[in-house]
Amino acid sequence: MPGTQTIDVLIGGYLSKEAADEDYEAVLASGAHVEGAVVVSKDVEGNLSVEETDHMVRKGAEGLGAVGFVVGLFAPPLLAATAVGAALGAVGGEALHKKTGSKIEDAAGDTIPIGGAGLIVAYEHDQADTVEPAVTRAIKKAIGEAEGHHVQALKSALADAQKKMAEEGA
Amino acid sequence: MTDLDRTTLPIRRPPFHGTANRTLKGSEPDWNLIGHPTPPDGAPNVLLILIDDAGFGNPSTFGGPIQTPNYTRIAEGGLKYNRFHVTALCSPTRAALLTGRNNHAVGFGSVGEFAGGFPGYSATLPRDCAPLPRILRDNGYSTAAFGKWHLTPDGQQGPAGPFDRWPNGWGFEYFYGFLAGDSGQWDPCLIENQKIIGTPEEFYDEENPYYFPDAMADRTIEWLHGVRGQDARKPFFVYFSTGCSHAPHHVAQSWADKYKGKFDQGWDKLREETFARQKELGVVPQDAELTPRDDAFPAWDDVPQHLKPFYARQMEVYAGFSENADYNAGRVIDAVDELGELDNTVVIWIWGDNGASMEGTVTGSFNEMTMQNGIPLSDEMQLQLTERFGGVGEWGGKLMDPHYAAAWAWAGNAPFKWGKQVGSHLGGTRNPMVVHWPDRVAEKGALRPQFSHVIDVAPTILDIAGIPAPTTVDGVDQEPMHGASFVASLTDAAAPEHRTQQYFETIGNRGMYKDGWWLAMKTPRIPWVVTPEALKPYAPDVWDPDGDPAELYYLPDDFTQAKDLAADQPEKVEELKALFWQEAEKYKVLPLLATLSTFFGIVPPLPDISTIEYRGDVQNVLSGMIPRIYNHSYAISADLVVPPDGAEGVIVAEADHLGGFSLWVDDGKLTHTYSMMGVFLFKQQAEERLPAGEVSVRLEFAADAPKPATGGEVTLFVDDKPVASGRMDHTVPIRFSAYAGMDIGRDNGGVVDRSYDDRKPFPFNGTVKKVTFDVKPHVTPEDEHALHTQEQHGHAAHALSG
Repeated sequence: MPGTQTIDVLIGGYLSKEAADEDYEAVLASGAHVEGAVVVSKDVEGNLSVEETDHMVRKGAEGLGAVGFVVGLFAPPLLAATAVGAALGAVGGEALHKKTGSKIEDAAGDTIPIGGAGLIVAYEHDQADTVEPAVTRAIKKAIGEAEGHHVQALKSALADAQKKMAEEGA
Repeated sequence: MTDLDRTTLPIRRPPFHGTANRTLKGSEPDWNLIGHPTPPDGAPNVLLILIDDAGFGNPSTFGGPIQTPNYTRIAEGGLKYNRFHVTALCSPTRAALLTGRNNHAVGFGSVGEFAGGFPGYSATLPRDCAPLPRILRDNGYSTAAFGKWHLTPDGQQGPAGPFDRWPNGWGFEYFYGFLAGDSGQWDPCLIENQKIIGTPEEFYDEENPYYFPDAMADRTIEWLHGVRGQDARKPFFVYFSTGCSHAPHHVAQSWADKYKGKFDQGWDKLREETFARQKELGVVPQDAELTPRDDAFPAWDDVPQHLKPFYARQMEVYAGFSENADYNAGRVIDAVDELGELDNTVVIWIWGDNGASMEGTVTGSFNEMTMQNGIPLSDEMQLQLTERFGGVGEWGGKLMDPHYAAAWAWAGNAPFKWGKQVGSHLGGTRNPMVVHWPDRVAEKGALRPQFSHVIDVAPTILDIAGIPAPTTVDGVDQEPMHGASFVASLTDAAAPEHRTQQYFETIGNRGMYKDGWWLAMKTPRIPWVVTPEALKPYAPDVWDPDGDPAELYYLPDDFTQAKDLAADQPEKVEELKALFWQEAEKYKVLPLLATLSTFFGIVPPLPDISTIEYRGDVQNVLSGMIPRIYNHSYAISADLVVPPDGAEGVIVAEADHLGGFSLWVDDGKLTHTYSMMGVFLFKQQAEERLPAGEVSVRLEFAADAPKPATGGEVTLFVDDKPVASGRMDHTVPIRFSAYAGMDIGRDNGGVVDRSYDDRKPFPFNGTVKKVTFDVKPHVTPEDEHALHTQEQHGHAAHALSG
């Protein structure tokens, strides 16, 4: 269909900023063309930081603000075997735009766990074989995929990734 | 005094042999009245050194990779015992060491914190088993203990005592150290005699930070100098019990860096290297075989390449930590030498109260308490959490409480199988011992192969001192010591075996030794796994201990337990099984698995107190003594007086950023920070500042359900008005910390919220009049019982890692 593309969004959750940064750098060094990548993290004192690529998400990215992602760990074996739902939350497509840094902080401030970090990478599907192997340190990761016009595809891919992440944590 | 009756303690004062007339006229004094009992002539000083959680194959003196020059010089001037045995757990070995009796018989079938309802597991020393320090003290020795104690139950570690379960109560005239099973070496919560003195002030000195192993040696030397300043002849008994090499593995980088790259070959190869050196040194017979790796431990070759530096650093830190213990023990020995008394001092130095600890699980942990709280973390998670708190280079620093991976412990127990907790095998029970006594030991540097056990140490010391084991103490008839003196072996290499029989039991893992034969019956449970699934096979109606796999070894021909003869010798297996049951009954080992009884519904009575009040000057409440807020709803309220210029500082804080909570005021705003073992960190803060004057604040945690690690909602109140709220998805199920204490009005030691670290201990600038914990709001009787049971599970889980 003319004007449509297949977009993948990879989201990864980490227990340290260092690990997220390492994957972020690995993605950038992989040679893949990425639509955008961002690391959002909070140190143990609760200070938020955002690191992102110069690539920008094209028009309409602000519409993605409500799409978040979830990272989880499995509960201790002495405990009920239910998921731990440490929500990184509502960091969405906007986060891929470097000029929306303050909005990212607003969105992530309440949802990034202290000491935790998240990585979001968006890329066209044909870059997947290059991007995905570069992300090696995520405690949890999920990849969403969607086809459509760019913004819609990005939004849907993010939603798909979030859904998969949540299902894995359940 | 001469001709004393030392069989009855305390020794009776001599009758007055003078004359006391109505006036001084004609009266004759008897100066013996003001004397005190003295030991028999020639009784030497005794320095008893015990290293914690270390293996036969750790110190270089016994072929290990850890440089122990002081241990080696003492061994070269004395004797090395290569068939010395301990129990496979901390407190049990300590109880046996200090009483000369089997650990179960004196109530220490498990660790000190866990006081169970069976005689062998009460963690309460029977009055008919007076311990060695009491006997030596009453016979005229100066006695002191430094370092780890671990023989006082949880719930009895506060200013209300009872103090007969503290070191002073066991006969040590002076104590400086910690009561728990382990301690941070940078920020310990210390005890001096019967007072909890908390974290030393030097902890706050960034340039010259406090370090417990150094301070422990300093205090020992200072005490020795004080004793000698007063009395040049009175013999001393010093129990120097290091917190090293138990987790947390805390040591300065400079010590760890001495081992940089030394463990890159991995645990499999390290073990082979150690074994070769052990043969070279002769501490292991030439015909010994290296036992194979159990599948519970991963092969080094299977460790992902990018994680190998992380694993290697774990062992580098452990090695540096251990070498530091050797260094500080050496300082004490040097001090004795400098006093000119080393020749007349019996140094008994045991390298490990049990085999090296596998409690770090297969990954190792940035925080030893993650295992005890049952939090499964992959090695990648552990690495990331390590990065969170400073990175691999900071493993061993102040921000982590690290424990290395189980396979490093296994390698440290070379050439044997398994390690700590596994009483059925030598990896848990055989440790190096060195005895140094120049006045008596002529054959310097020799090996002694006599089969010995930790219960033999006290009788040997009494034998050396010429002091009989008392038959009556405080009017109570005494149970004879179970140990046998090995003093004959000090001067005679061919001395006959003083011990031909000994049982072993730790958490159901059993060993029965007799005349060279060793029956090993290990429960199939992997020692570091305490999940409900793993424990199911041991339920009272399920477990048949005689059905566990039986292995049989003949140790005179098989030093390492490499050749299982059970299939060829079924009669011997049955004979030793029967003998074990006899010994178990005799020494109060039964019921087996009493340590795990709470997992099977056997719990102590419910406590009848649900609110606990602390006035504002209470500090250093030890970690086992804090209100049990785990796993259910609770409330913490405080009555404050806020200064006119606004409040800041800590209202109440337990432990630190690796597990704990703090209710505090940040720039006037009521704030709550909660650390779920450093893995999850939660924080809620009010928008508005506290008003000046009398203010009541409250934290309420509404649990989702009364269940382990429950999530729930936090609400903060000021004068009954809600001011902040937030969710905590997970809470600590068992214990925040192994050692860090709770404080009112400040946060002593490591802090809970790192954002006020630069202001620590961050005392409240107004007045904290009172803090009240309500630990049982809105709980049904059924829930209450369930929670109580879970809490006891926590105790038991903690008990598995003493």
